[in-house]
Order: sequence, then structure tokens, then C-alpha cells
Amino acid sequence: MSAYEEDDRSVESNLIRPYSLTGGRTRPSRGDLTVTSQVVAVPSMGSADLDPELELILSVCARPVSVAEVASRAGLPLGVLRVLLSDLLDQGRVVAHTSPWEHRRPDADTLRSVLDGIRRL
Amino acid sequence: MAGPWTVVEGDPPVPDTLKIVVAGGFGAGKTTLVSTLSEVESLHTEEIMTSRSVGVDDLAGVEDKTTTTVALDFGRITLDASTVVYLFGTPGQRRFSYMWEELSQGALGAIVIADTRRLADSFDSIDFFESRRLPFVVAVNCFDGQRTHRAEDVRVALDLAEEVPLSLCDARDRESVKGVLVELVELVLRLELAGAQGPL
Repeated sequence: MSAYEEDDRSVESNLIRPYSLTGGRTRPSRGDLTVTSQVVAVPSMGSADLDPELELILSVCARPVSVAEVASRAGLPLGVLRVLLSDLLDQGRVVAHTSPWEHRRPDADTLRSVLDGIRRL
Repeated sequence: MAGPWTVVEGDPPVPDTLKIVVAGGFGAGKTTLVSTLSEVESLHTEEIMTSRSVGVDDLAGVEDKTTTTVALDFGRITLDASTVVYLFGTPGQRRFSYMWEELSQGALGAIVIADTRRLADSFDSIDFFESRRLPFVVAVNCFDGQRTHRAEDVRVALDLAEEVPLSLCDARDRESVKGVLVELVELVLRLELAGAQGPL
């Protein structure tokens, strides 16, 4: 990758106002969604009458997937995605699971099995 | 943490996740290292930086610009049905240290990639992880398999503490990158067994 490519991607200006999709809200209704939180759509909740962006998010998380991957696949900046995803959580259309390892380090046994797992890759 | 909205009875299983931060200077090989082990084509997203998160000084001369975007590359490694590791490359520029904070929060540890042609570019990352007491290893990326530097010389040049593992690696080589990950997790395990972990 050339120097120009990385620079362009990192500092390009936003031509579309990024938070127009959230009605101007820049903070999610909940603060517990991390980039690695796993989210999954609740199948019994229909998606009728939803905005296309929300429908897209629901389709991306038909199976458990991280918040960062949803942002990547939906083509939405993380900050915008987090606001929309929090709305879907509040509406019960999505459930989320944040790893306990976000709050405390895994114990020695877990670390040993992680090591085994990496060596097997 | 098992909150009230933690899922899920029955299908499909939701894995627990480990996050590892990959840092280093511009062009040192962060994106390459992340994609070498990722099971999906290197994933890419963006975060919006407001003038507040970027810092006022950094917007000197671009006062009309209140937001900017910063690219994030990341990869996913499924170890088994219950454990997934995410590798997150940090944006290189120091003015995006807000993202470093966010990505380091709750991380298992960090890999600092050093390029021997520009060793000073990794100082910011090393300072940052030392100050956050986040366990980290240094991987010296040897382009084209050339090992022109001895690991010990690089350690001296980086003024690394003795307990920080440092190794030569090739960010394009799967086994080599696996070795770096193993080194990091072994370090975290040693710290855990010694009861020497800093707060998350």
C-alpha cells in the first residue's frame, strides 16, 4: 500500500454528514456495546416499516457477529452504527453479548487453551 | 459480564471474544500482519473523529472541518466454537490516540510492529502501552526475509524493558505471525501466574 492510500483513507473529509442517519445523535442510548460485542438479530421480530439502514443491519447480524463486522459489512462508520444498533437493542430486535474478558482477563486455564488454539491454526 | 440482555437459549452459539491490538508506525506492516491470520479478507471500517476527539491543536489550519474519518483494519480468528480472537490495527497517527484508548480498553494485549528502517515510529505505541500497563510484545518486521538487525540491537535502540518479548518476524508469513501471537499470550499467562496484571 502506498503512503498516499493510507493517508487518503485516514484523513479524508466526510462529504455526507455522517450522523444524518441517526437524526443527529452522536451518542448511543447505551454505552455497553464494544467493537467486539457479538450481536444477533431476533428472528421473531419482523423488520416491516424499518428504515433501509436498520433492515441492512438486521440482515448482516442474522448470525452472531461482532459490532465491528456489522459496521464493515453495512458500510457504516462505527459511531453511526453504534447509535443505530443501540436503538435496535432497545426495541428488542437485536440481542448482544459482550465477552466477560472485556472486563477481566481470562484465567490461566483459558489462556492455555487459547495458546493451544493458536498453535493449531 | 452477564447482563440482562445476554443471549441466547439454544441456537446459534455466541462466542466469547478476545481483542488484540496491533500497533506500529505507518507502513510497518500492521495491515499485513492482521490479514495474514484473519480467516476473512481483511475487514475494514471507519470511525468518525470529531474535533473534540481529535484535539483542538490538530485541527489548526483546517478549522472549517469538524469531522474526519479514521480507517480501522481488523481480522477475525475463530479458535473454536466458543472463542474468537479479533486483531485490531490501530491508526498510525498520534492524533488518533483517542482510538488507541478505545481499542485498548478491554484488550488482552498488544503487538507493536517495528520497522528497522524507522524504529522511532514505534516509540509512540510503546510509550502508550507501557503507560496503560497493557501487556505487549514487539515484532520486528523483516521485509523480504532479510534479517539485517540483531534482535538485541533493536531492543537497545527501543530502550525496551527486559521482560518485554521481542522477536523478528515476517508479517506475511502465517507461522511467523502465529509465533508472535503465541509470544503475546504466553506473556499474558506469565503475568497472570505471577499475579502481576495491571487493571483492565
